[in-house]
Amino acid sequence: MTGSLADDRLLVCEGLNYSYLNRFPALVDVSLEVRRGEKVALLGANGCGKSTLLKVLDGLVFPQDGRYLAFGEPVTENSLEDEQMSMGFRSRVGFVFQNSDAQVFSPTVREEVAFGPLQLAMTTEEAGQRVDDVLDMLGIADLAERAPFQLSGGQKKKVAIATVLVMNPEILLFDEPTATLDPRTQEWLTELLGHLNSAGKTIVLATHDIHVLDRIADRCLVFGEDHRIVTQGPPQDVLAQRDLLLQVNLIHQHTELPAIIARD
Amino acid sequence: MCPCGCIGKRKKVSFVEKTLNGGSGLLKQVMFSEDVAAERGLLQRIDPRVKLLSLLGLLVVAALLHNIPMLLVMYAATLGLAAASALSVGFFIKRVWLFIPVFTGIIVLPATLSIVTHGQVVLTLWYWHGQPEGFTAQGLTGAGLVVSRVATSISLVVLLTLTTPWVRLLAALRSLGVPRIFILIIGMAYRYLFLLLQSVTDMYEARKARTVGAARHDAGARRFVTASAGALFGKANQLSDEVHQAMTARGYRGNPRVLYRFRFTATDAGYLFGVVVFAALVLGGDRILGR
Repeated sequence: MTGSLADDRLLVCEGLNYSYLNRFPALVDVSLEVRRGEKVALLGANGCGKSTLLKVLDGLVFPQDGRYLAFGEPVTENSLEDEQMSMGFRSRVGFVFQNSDAQVFSPTVREEVAFGPLQLAMTTEEAGQRVDDVLDMLGIADLAERAPFQLSGGQKKKVAIATVLVMNPEILLFDEPTATLDPRTQEWLTELLGHLNSAGKTIVLATHDIHVLDRIADRCLVFGEDHRIVTQGPPQDVLAQRDLLLQVNLIHQHTELPAIIARD
Repeated sequence: MCPCGCIGKRKKVSFVEKTLNGGSGLLKQVMFSEDVAAERGLLQRIDPRVKLLSLLGLLVVAALLHNIPMLLVMYAATLGLAAASALSVGFFIKRVWLFIPVFTGIIVLPATLSIVTHGQVVLTLWYWHGQPEGFTAQGLTGAGLVVSRVATSISLVVLLTLTTPWVRLLAALRSLGVPRIFILIIGMAYRYLFLLLQSVTDMYEARKARTVGAARHDAGARRFVTASAGALFGKANQLSDEVHQAMTARGYRGNPRVLYRFRFTATDAGYLFGVVVFAALVLGGDRILGR
């Protein structure tokens, strides 16, 4: 892939429309840009299209209308048929699924984490070394020979993250990363996102976790139930729009919003 | 302690209980196998490829033997290997012999009778036109040969599967030329078996939680089983879509590559040599004994 854009816009979506079975809309006229080093949070009620957008950004589903560019190149079903384009794109964009069980499909953790590097034509020695490094980094080296059914939810999530980090992508997509995790693992993950961003990774995540929004995002995009983006801005600006958040059914009238102090 | 005095009454276990028990039984069995495979016994130290090759060789040898004593020597050797591999010999014998009366004994039983295999009647069961009919020496020898051959073969397979983690076994199959996609599908099927088993357990536990009194085996129960099978099929289908997307997201393009780390050591060479010598001795002994 040759980055032809002069600016630092890594992902650009223009007027995306996507419907499941051509009947059930998931994205309606969605446009957004993601710049290098940003942390972008996608907010919205269940079923508003956040996960579908992440799948579009990862080139797993393709919009019926609109244009999607990654690193200045159009990402389409046809363009990903090209092996060089596909390998370049897959090595630069990583996706952590909401359902870790879908992402942890190999018989052991070691095999699982090695899957991505091996698909991208890395040698077994190099892949093995990378696997050891990433398992050490995430503190799960002791799980290497375990089978996925022997792991807890939090451990599975860590393994799922390891499967993506091992490929060292520039952009990390997370689908509701803290959902179903205990508070300790949630905090671990929140800190990890911060470290990854400090290390230069661009992060796009779908979340309902508004209490740590200021720590996990620089910018938020809010989806309405009509599958359109209704507003965007820094977390403190978005959380200040209580009526809007109520209107899009993201919060309940009894929900207490966190007091976020604007950062410089 | 029921005040109505029903203590000790046995009742039929419901299909819900049976399913839940079956699920947990399978998990226990798998956990046990994984524990055995993780022991530091003789066979656990051998390269799975060597074990697989030697198993195939020994199965062929067992099929070629025509004398029960030689098959018994082979069977005794499997017991020795089980003991050297930190397996409880009692458990090992039970595991093998539980299947043999059911699957082999019943099949070979008619062949022991004089109406099927003619010969010298050693135990008379009835008379037909004045002739004694019953078990024949030839029939019993044939049956003994089949049963001992099956017992030896099953023992060899059980030894391999109990002392080799499933993933290593699949990798060994792959390295011996079994197509990669076949190995990948089996590996994933094994992995998702547990996930779907969890779904089944959840559904049946939810049913149990909403059942007052004994579960009935009526049309409603059959509808529940059918509906849960349908729901499970839907879940499996959805999961397969997600898994494929997760694989695609990490660069999968229809040609899976898998991590293998096998090393052929002096222990492997020694084991392989021992197996070849043993096979030669057994075959030689069989030839000396003749048919």
